[in-house]
Amino acid sequence: MDTIAFLVAYITPYIAVAVFVGGLAYQVFQWWQSKPAAGHLSLYPRPHRRWGPFMEVLIETITLKMVFNALRISGSALPIVAGLVLHGALFLVLVHHLPVFVHLFAGEPVGWAVFGTIVGLLFLLLLSYALAHRMGGRRKLLSVPQDYLALFLLISIAVTGLHIHLLHALDLGELNRFFLGLASFQWQPAPQSAGPAFTWHFAFVQLLMVYFPFSKFIHMVGYVLAKMVAYS
Amino acid sequence: MLETFTETMRQRLSRPLQYFFDICIRCGLCADACHFYAYSHDPAHIPAYRALLVKKLLQPKGNPLLDWYRENRPPDDRTVEELRRALWDCTGCRRCTLVCPFHLDTGLLVSTARYALLQEGMGMEMVAEIGKAEVSKGEIIDALKEFYVDQFHAMEERLQKEWNAPDLRIPVGQAGARVLYVPLVGEHAVIPAVKIFYAAKESWSLSLFTATNHSFFVGDMEKAKQAAHWIVDEARRLGAQVIVYPECGHATRTLLSYFDGWFGEEVAGLERVSIVKLVADYLQEGRIRVRPGTFTVPLTYHDPCNIGRNAGMFEEPRLLIRAVATDFRELTPNRELNWCCGGGGGLIAEPGMKDVRMRAGKPKVEQIRRTGAQWVVTACENCKTQLSDLNEHYGLGVEVKGVVDLVADALVL
Repeated sequence: MDTIAFLVAYITPYIAVAVFVGGLAYQVFQWWQSKPAAGHLSLYPRPHRRWGPFMEVLIETITLKMVFNALRISGSALPIVAGLVLHGALFLVLVHHLPVFVHLFAGEPVGWAVFGTIVGLLFLLLLSYALAHRMGGRRKLLSVPQDYLALFLLISIAVTGLHIHLLHALDLGELNRFFLGLASFQWQPAPQSAGPAFTWHFAFVQLLMVYFPFSKFIHMVGYVLAKMVAYS
Repeated sequence: MLETFTETMRQRLSRPLQYFFDICIRCGLCADACHFYAYSHDPAHIPAYRALLVKKLLQPKGNPLLDWYRENRPPDDRTVEELRRALWDCTGCRRCTLVCPFHLDTGLLVSTARYALLQEGMGMEMVAEIGKAEVSKGEIIDALKEFYVDQFHAMEERLQKEWNAPDLRIPVGQAGARVLYVPLVGEHAVIPAVKIFYAAKESWSLSLFTATNHSFFVGDMEKAKQAAHWIVDEARRLGAQVIVYPECGHATRTLLSYFDGWFGEEVAGLERVSIVKLVADYLQEGRIRVRPGTFTVPLTYHDPCNIGRNAGMFEEPRLLIRAVATDFRELTPNRELNWCCGGGGGLIAEPGMKDVRMRAGKPKVEQIRRTGAQWVVTACENCKTQLSDLNEHYGLGVEVKGVVDLVADALVL
C-alpha cells in the first residue's frame, strides 16, 4: 500500500483525534479563563426563568425560536431552516456510519442503504445551497476564507462518502476490525471493500477534525455556552 | 495605526466577546435586524462584520499563509474610517443579538470597543464629557443642594395650588423615605411622578441626582459605576428601601442589569425598579385610580429597546395605557422585535449624528404611519427626543407622550 494511504490509515488518525479532543478542551479552557462580562446581558422575554439558563436555552432551541425570529425580521426563514435541516442530515449521516465502527447487525436491514443515500444526498444538497447562499449578496461581503474552507471540507467529505456508498459494497466486518484495531493499537488490514476513495474520505475527515477546534465549528460546543449568557 | 485601540481591546476582552469572535458563523441574520443596515447596506453596519473588523485587529500576525487566511492587512485610512463608522453608528439596541442564533452580544462589543476608540482619540468626546460631569456632580453636590431644594420647594408650592392639594410635598433628601425616586433633568421627569406618589400616598424622596449615565454609552464602565454610586450612596444614607428609576432606557438597564455586579453587598438589600413597573403595581393594587377612557385619540406604544427586550417590561406599559385610553393600536412588529427608534446609544447627545439618526429611524416612521396613530407613547427619554425629531423630519403629524405622563393626566386625586 502506498505511503500516503498508509499514513492516512494508521498514523494520522491518532494525531487527528488528539488535536480534535485536545483542541476542543483548549478552546473551552480559554473561554473559561476569560473574564465574564460585567453585567447581566439578559434578553427578554425569558423562555422559563425558574429552570435556569441551560433549560432556557434548551427550550428556546426546541421551540425553534430562532426560526420564528428570522421569519419576522427577514421575511424568509429559508436560510436558517436549511441550516437546521443540514444539521439534522449530518446527524443522520453519522447514525448511518454506526455499523461501520460497531457491529450492530449481522445482515444489513432492508432500506438501510437507501436511508444512507437519501441523507447523504440531502447533506450534499444543503451544503451546495449553503455555498451558493454564501456567495450571493451581503454574505459575500461578510464571508472570510474560513467560511469557504469549512464548506470545501464538508463537501469533499460528502462527495467522497457518497462515492463509497454508491459504488462499493462494504464489508462491514472488515471495517469493524480495522477501526477496532486502531482503537486497541492492534492494527488490522486497511479496508479494501471501500475502494481507493476510502483514503480520500478518511483523510478529509481527519483534516476536518484537526481544523474543527480552531474554526467556527467550535459553535458545536459554543452554542449552549454563548446562548446561556443571555439568560444568566 | 490603531495600536492604542487594539491594546485597549486586548485588556478589556471578556468571555461573551470571545464567544462573538470564535463562534459567529456569519449567517447574516443580524444584518436584517439592524435599522442602520436597513438604510445603508453598508457592511460596517452588519454586526457580524463589525465583529470581524475588531477581531482582525486582535489576531496574531506574521505568518504569510495565516495572514492571507485571516485577511490580516495593516489598517489604512479606509479601515479606520470603517471602524469608526461601525462603532459610532449603533444604538446598542440588541435587536441583532436577539435574532442571532447564538445571542452574540453586539451591545457589549460596541460598548467595549467605544472605550477603546476613546483611548485612540476617535471616540464620542461629547458623550464622554457629559459622563464625566455626571461623576463630578456627586463631588460638588453639597454646594448644589440648597439650589435644588429651593427649586423643588418653589415647584411644590406651584403644584399645591395647581392641583388644589395643600398637603402635597416634594421631599428632597428625606431620611427614612421608603422610595428614592431618581429623576431626569427637567420638570417633565419630576411632576408626573410627584402627582402619582401623592395619589398613592407613597413614602418617598426625590434624589438630588439624575439617572442618566453617559459613561455607559461610551463603554467607560469605571465612570459609569462611579456616577451610579452617588445614587446608591444617597439611598443607603437616607435608609431608602427602593430605588425607582424614571422613564429612561439606558439608565434602567444599568439599574436592573449592572447594579448588582457593580455594587454587590451595597445594593443587596435595595429593591430596584422602573417607575413604569411601580406605577403598574400601584394601579393593580388599587393604590391609584385613573379615569378610564380619558384619551380617545388613536395612539400606539413604542417599546424602548432598553425597557422591552433588554429589561423585560412589555405588559406593564400596555396595562397602564389601556387603563386610560380607548383606541390603542400595536406597532408591527412590537415587544421584543420592535424596531429601535434610532436615538439610543448616546447618538442624541453626540453632535453631528442627527443625519444618521434620521435615516436609521426610517423603519420606525413606517411602523407608526401604518397604525394611523396620532400619539406615540413611549417610556424612554431618548426615544421621546428621537421620535419628536423623526416626527418633524418626516412630517408624521404625531405627538409624543410618556406612559407616566398619561397616567398622571388621567389620575383621580
